[in-house]
Amino acid sequence: MIRIILSRIGQGIITLFVLVTLTFFLVRAMPGSPYAEEKAIPAHALARMKAYTGLDQPIPVQYFRYLENLVVHQDLGDLIKKDGIKVSEIIAESFPVSLALGIFSIGIALIVGIPAGVIAAVRKNTCIDYSALAAAMIGICLPSFVIGPLLAVTAGLSLKSLNVAGWSSPGDWILPAITLGLINAAYLARLARGGMLDVLNQDYIRTARAKGVSEPRIVIRHALRGGLIPAVAFIGPAFAGMISGSFVIETIFQIPGMGQHFVNAATDREFFLIQGLVLFYGFLIVGANLLADLAQIALNPRLRKA
Amino acid sequence: MEKGTSLWKDAWHRLAHNRAAIVSLGVLTVILVLCFIGPLMPFVKSPTIINLANSSAAPSAAHWFGTDQLGRDLFSRVLYGGQVSLLVGLVATAVAVMIGVIYGAIAGYAGGKTDDLLMRFVDILFALPFLVLVILFALVVDKPASEFTEWVIKTTGFERDRVAPITTLIPLFIAIGAIGWLTIARIVRAQVMSVKKQEFVEAAVSLGLSRTRILFRHILPNVIGPIIIYTTLAVPGIMLLESVLSFLGLGVKPPNSSWGILIKEGADRMEINWLLLFFPSAFFASTLFALNFLGDGLRDALDPKSAKD
Repeated sequence: MIRIILSRIGQGIITLFVLVTLTFFLVRAMPGSPYAEEKAIPAHALARMKAYTGLDQPIPVQYFRYLENLVVHQDLGDLIKKDGIKVSEIIAESFPVSLALGIFSIGIALIVGIPAGVIAAVRKNTCIDYSALAAAMIGICLPSFVIGPLLAVTAGLSLKSLNVAGWSSPGDWILPAITLGLINAAYLARLARGGMLDVLNQDYIRTARAKGVSEPRIVIRHALRGGLIPAVAFIGPAFAGMISGSFVIETIFQIPGMGQHFVNAATDREFFLIQGLVLFYGFLIVGANLLADLAQIALNPRLRKA
Repeated sequence: MEKGTSLWKDAWHRLAHNRAAIVSLGVLTVILVLCFIGPLMPFVKSPTIINLANSSAAPSAAHWFGTDQLGRDLFSRVLYGGQVSLLVGLVATAVAVMIGVIYGAIAGYAGGKTDDLLMRFVDILFALPFLVLVILFALVVDKPASEFTEWVIKTTGFERDRVAPITTLIPLFIAIGAIGWLTIARIVRAQVMSVKKQEFVEAAVSLGLSRTRILFRHILPNVIGPIIIYTTLAVPGIMLLESVLSFLGLGVKPPNSSWGILIKEGADRMEINWLLLFFPSAFFASTLFALNFLGDGLRDALDPKSAKD
């Protein structure tokens, strides 16, 4: 068990290293420079600015400096255009917002998606099953930037207490969290249904039925544990999807989370901010995948030997 | 005696009995014909002619879906946008599937240390933030692509308006394709590993065929089923990705428009004219719906596990 955890952590570290390297060189390969302004900056001023941020150095030197700062000083660097603001400050400011949104939406996704999928599987090929599947397909096929505005108009404007934009009162959180949650609920429902169907067809369930175990007990005590494995495996990547989905949600509902910074940083060529945000995202995803792996091992004893 | 049927005939038979899949096939055909042949019809107006006197008009005989805020015909905008969305979806998927199949096939056939190394690399890429990398990649290949546009214009002498709509999509194809091949690589590897143990491969080896020939002529044709299934199911995901990128202003760029861009514009003004959101979303969602149902149907038809029920 400990060996599995250690090897996953090692793999996570390698992943992050690859990510840092890949982002670093992708960012340097982007056309345009952080100093491209409407007015041309005088050459001597530009040279001093570049010397100040270290961007005048050859790229390999910049790369090793960046790694050194990262590993030795745990420093993600400063913003290039706004003096004295650290990348870590921006992350510290916006991450709690994205995290709150993420936790709410994953909560909604779990509460809606898992029961829907399990009930659909238990009532296979009935009206309930088909309507759950159809609803899930709608959630998968409609882009979040359609669901979001639709919810905003239908719910937000009729219920005055829900705000369609901003992030100051708890009422602001509900619509974006529902939008993001419902999309993930759709995937979860399909996975939970598929997993449950597989398990419900297995011999040990037939044995349980033959013993005379009641149907609710079969579903809850015997089938659920194995049937939810695919859904649990999805939650890790769903966390990644939630972050990427939140770019759009944050734009629609004007939420001051991390997504907006990422898009702006990419168009503004704020090199260190992009690198810092990508690394932070990567860290979250690696962590989420690790937790998902551990949850799977807990649910499925067969994985414990690997 | 029962007559033997080939796998494909069997699969087609099962697919034909799947009502959702057949309806989806019909819907897809209609949408493809509308988007790619429709604009050639004389009664479909230009998507770019601006007529401010007739802005935000309701649907009528002249403008079937009405007009947008600049008086452009929405019906033809939806058709032209569909061309771009479908093209990106299909080409980017093709790029991703091509890379994935070759990579997965090599890993699965080589086995041993090569396989370990190749698949560990896939594991690492899998854990990276997908959308983020696509965005960075799209920005990086943007400049070479615009240089390529200039080069094509210079060497072929075509007008810019005819070249630019296609060449400006190249960054998207490359970016999505370069990141999207991971799942297919895993699937193909697993399939190749199970197929290569079968007798016909042994027979091919004993005939002295080269490894490349065995892999591409004998093994790959036998794993085509899962590849087709995955490809059908991957297209909607990639179209969704294109729409998200376009929504964020990082995907398809003017003069092109895509369903994603139309949906974004519609969402911005849906309180004034909800039809601007409705029509592009309806086309987009039905295409994705149809592709998903078709993919599910193909899976049921081609998956040997489902052959018994």
